[in-house]
Amino acid sequence: MAPRKFLSCIKCLAVASGIAVATGVAFIYSGLYPMGADDRHTALTTWTLETLRERSISRASAGIDVPADLDNPERLLAGGADYNDMCVGCHLKPGKTESDFTLGLYPAPPNLARQTQDEGDAESRARRRFWTIKHGIKASGMPAWGPGHNDERIWNMVAFLRRLPDLSPEQYQIVTARGSTDSDYH
Amino acid sequence: MKRKILCWQVTLAVPALLLGFSAQAHEPEKHMKEAEKPECAAMKTMDPSKMDRDDPVMQAMMQKCRDEMHQDESGPHGSHADHSGEDKKGNEKSPSKHEH
Repeated sequence: MAPRKFLSCIKCLAVASGIAVATGVAFIYSGLYPMGADDRHTALTTWTLETLRERSISRASAGIDVPADLDNPERLLAGGADYNDMCVGCHLKPGKTESDFTLGLYPAPPNLARQTQDEGDAESRARRRFWTIKHGIKASGMPAWGPGHNDERIWNMVAFLRRLPDLSPEQYQIVTARGSTDSDYH
Repeated sequence: MKRKILCWQVTLAVPALLLGFSAQAHEPEKHMKEAEKPECAAMKTMDPSKMDRDDPVMQAMMQKCRDEMHQDESGPHGSHADHSGEDKKGNEKSPSKHEH
């Protein structure tokens, strides 16, 4: 008697799972899901995606070795120029609070010129930033810069990001300007 | 058969070329022509008491503006002797600018 009940329960579960999968597929093909970036996720979807992203980056970046010389001024200059060319449109700079990208992208890119407290210690923050710059983040607008930029260049950007919230607009301009005051800069 | 091979070659070559161009797209040298110059005049208006010369940001700024500051010092009102130690420090800290 008991095995028969167990079998009917298994059948029930299989039928329920089949219906759930079929409903999911039907929903995907129906086109009913609102895909516009101006249509916000529900709280549950936001939590799921953010948790998925944060846990994934933490795990993937855990074994990365952080260079000891991230405070080197050369790194700040090289990373600053790259940041100004590649990142400032989305991640802003001192004295700027929004751009077309920050208004339109969803999820909105973080303002890296503002001090944050929520990413753990400096080492793990550096590891996570390195990984994120190198690999990008799926379906977020954050590209993977790894294919066109070597690790040293990415670490330079990480070095610059560590000091970015401390910079005034004037300091930012000087540190990120790729040009030079002299004429023999090649 | 030859047509097929040519077709495959083109199919492979186009993405390879596009990849190649995208990899070169952000070489620092490409940006030098339209590169923004540092506005070093702002450094002169900064409060010297708040300028920590051991701070990497300050060292980076001094390195970037060294030549302009050097020109000012050698002008009619400037004095080389006052900052000879600073120049030495700057030169020690800054490797070649030709590395780009």
